Amino acid sequence: MAFSKQSMSDSPHLADYRAELHAWLDAHRDELAPVFAAPGTLDEHVAQMQRVKAILFEAGWMQYGWPERVGGRGGSPMLRTELGAAIAGRDLVDPGIFSLVEVLAPTVIDFAPPELAAEMVPRLLSGAEMWCQGFSEPGAGSDLASLNCRAVPDGDASTASNWVIKGQKVWTSLAQYSERCVLLTRTGPADSRHRGITAFFVDMDTPGITVAPLEMINGDRELTEVFFDDVVVPADRMLGKLNGGWAVAMSILPYERSSCFWQRIAYLYRRLQRLVDVAPNDERAAEVIGNAFVQLHALRARSRATQHRLDAGATLGPETSIDKVLLSTAEQTTYDAVRRLLPGVVEMDDSATAELWRSEYLYSRAATIYGGTAEVQRNIIARRLLDLGSAE
Amino acid sequence: MIEASERALMEETVRKAIEDACATPDGNTAVDAVLAQLGWLDMLDAEPRDAVDIVFSALGNANASATVLDDVVASAIGTAPRPDLAVLLPRFAAWEPPGSIEGDQLRARGLATARTATAREMLVVCGSGTGLWVAIVPIADAEIDAVRGIDPDAGLRAVRVQGSAVVAKQLETSAWQAAVALGRRAVAHQIAGACRAMLALARTHALERLQFGRPIAQFQAVRHRLADTLVALEGLEATLIAAGDEPNPDTAALAKAAAGRAVRTVTAHCQQVLAGTGFTTEHPFHRFLKRALVLEGLFGSADDIAVDLGRQLLAARAVPNLIEL
Repeated sequence: MAFSKQSMSDSPHLADYRAELHAWLDAHRDELAPVFAAPGTLDEHVAQMQRVKAILFEAGWMQYGWPERVGGRGGSPMLRTELGAAIAGRDLVDPGIFSLVEVLAPTVIDFAPPELAAEMVPRLLSGAEMWCQGFSEPGAGSDLASLNCRAVPDGDASTASNWVIKGQKVWTSLAQYSERCVLLTRTGPADSRHRGITAFFVDMDTPGITVAPLEMINGDRELTEVFFDDVVVPADRMLGKLNGGWAVAMSILPYERSSCFWQRIAYLYRRLQRLVDVAPNDERAAEVIGNAFVQLHALRARSRATQHRLDAGATLGPETSIDKVLLSTAEQTTYDAVRRLLPGVVEMDDSATAELWRSEYLYSRAATIYGGTAEVQRNIIARRLLDLGSAE
Repeated sequence: MIEASERALMEETVRKAIEDACATPDGNTAVDAVLAQLGWLDMLDAEPRDAVDIVFSALGNANASATVLDDVVASAIGTAPRPDLAVLLPRFAAWEPPGSIEGDQLRARGLATARTATAREMLVVCGSGTGLWVAIVPIADAEIDAVRGIDPDAGLRAVRVQGSAVVAKQLETSAWQAAVALGRRAVAHQIAGACRAMLALARTHALERLQFGRPIAQFQAVRHRLADTLVALEGLEATLIAAGDEPNPDTAALAKAAAGRAVRTVTAHCQQVLAGTGFTTEHPFHRFLKRALVLEGLFGSADDIAVDLGRQLLAARAVPNLIEL
C-alpha cells in the first residue's frame, strides 16, 4: 500500500484506495466483526471500537491521512474519511463515538506542543486511549462563549508552571472511558466571552476530577457530567495561546463538518438499507423510502462537494451550517421512516432488532441539538450567508 | 467541461443576454433569438453539460421561457436538434413516451413549447408492443392548443398527434431514459435559477420592509424562513452538480425530485416573507411562483419521482450510493 504521495484531486487514485480498503475489510471480515450480539451495551460498543482501531492501526490503515510527524502516513484527509465511512457503513463501529478521533486529534495536532502531539496522537489512533471533549457547561450550551469553568495560574500567567481548574462540564461524551480531555476554561474576566477562554489537554486521572455518567433518553450512559475540583494541570498542557481557546474550539468545525459527516452519511445509508431489507413492498413504503432517499442523496451530494472544497485547500466556514441542517433533517427523516413503516417496532417490540431501532430512533432526536442546535445553525446562515445583519 | 474562468464568463454573458431579451417587447421570442446568436446549438453539441447548466439556470433566474428544451430532448434521443424541429414532451406530471403505435397508426398526446408555432416538423417518441419508436412528423399532423393554465407566459401547448407510423424508426429504451434524464436536469436547473431569484426578492424585501420600527429581517422567525430557503436551494444545487459529475437516469431523477421538494420550501417561505407585497401582481414574485408550479410537473413531480425511486429500491432491496468522493 502506498497511497500517501498523490493528490486526492486525482480521483481514480482515491477510487483505487477505496477498492483496496474494501477488499481488505472483506478479507478480515470475521476478525473485525463485533463479538457481541446486537444491540450491545455502550461498554461493548466502546470495546469494539478500540479493538477495530487496534487492528486497523496494526495493518496500517488507521495512519493514512494523518501527518507523518504524529506517526501518520500522510496524504489527504479524504483517505481517513473513506476509512471512517467504510467501517461505519459496515456497522463495525458506531460513527457517533468513532468520530471523536476526527474531532480531537486535529485539535491536538494543530495546537499542542509538537512533542506532546507526537506522543499522544498515536495512542488515540491505535485504540490504546480514548479522549473526550469538555466544552458545554450547565450554563453554556448554545452560548458556549459564556462558559465559566475557571483556570487560574499558580503565579504570573506568563511564567506559571501550573494552572488550577475549578468548575463543571456537562453533556461530555464518553468521559468515563477517556484518558484525556480537550477542555475549555475561563481564563479572562467573567464577562470576557470568547476573548477570555483557554484550552488545555488534561489527563483524566488527575486528582480532583469526578465523572458522573448521565442516562440518556435511550438508556445509554454516553453523556456525563465532569467536575473539576482544584485540578492541577501543567502549563505545557495548554493548547494554543493563553486566551486563544476560542480559535481552538472553532478549529474543530472543518473536521466535524466534513469527515465526520461523511461517516455518518455512510451509516445512514446503511440504516435505510436495513429498512429496505424488511419494509413491506407497497406504495406507502415506496413513498416514504423514496422521500428519505431523496433527502439522503441531497445530503450526500452536498457533503461530497464540501470534502472536495476542503481537499482543494478551501477553509470551511459558516456554509457548513447548511451541511449540518441537511444532515440533522435527513437523519430524523430516516428514523421517522422506520417508525412509520415498521409499526410497533420502536414502541412495542422487545426483540434485539427492535431494541436497536428504538435506541437509534431516540438518539436521532438529538441530531438537531448536538454540535450546534438547528436554531443556532439557522442564525448563522441568516447572519453570515444571507447577510441579513444583526437580529433584534 | 470547460475551465472555471471561461464558464464564469459564459454564465455572465448568457445571463445578461437573456435579461436584456426579456426586457424587449418581443420577450420570449427574443430570448430564443439571442440564444441562437450566442451559438446555443454549437454549445449544446460541444459542451452539453455546461450548455444545459448555464442556459437553464439563467432562464429560471430571469423567469424567461425559451424553446431550447426541445433541443435538449432531441439531442439526448440522438436526433440532431434544429430550430424548425419541435419535440413532443410527456404529459404534465408524467415521463412516459407521449405516443403509441398500433398497426400503421401513430397517436400521441403531450406538451410542447412555443416552438410549435414556427416549426416545420415534430419529433414524437412512441411506445408499442415491440418497444420504442421515434418519428418525425409534419407539424400539420399535430393539433395544437395554447395552454393558459396558471402561467400563460410559460408558452406551453397541449398537443395531439395523429398520423402515419410508417416513418417511425426503432429506438433503444435507453435513448428515451437519457432524454428524460437530460430533460429533468435542464428543468431542475431552471427551477434552481428561479429559487435563487425568489430568495433574492424575499431577502431584499426583508431588509427594506420596516414594521414595528425595524426591518423585518431582524426578526428570527423571518430569518429562519430565509435560512431554510437557502438550505433547500443549496441541497438542490448539490444534487445538480452530482448529476453532472455522474450523469445517469438515477442521479437526474434525484435532482429533479430534489428540485420539486426545494421549490415547495422556497415558494412557501419566500411568499410568507413577502406577505402582502408578494400577493399583488405589482411585485414580480407571482411570476416565479406560477412558473415554478408548472416546472415542477415537467418530467414528473417530486412526489411521483420519489415513489418511483422507492419502488426501485424495494424491488431490488438495495440502496445504491450513486456518488462517491
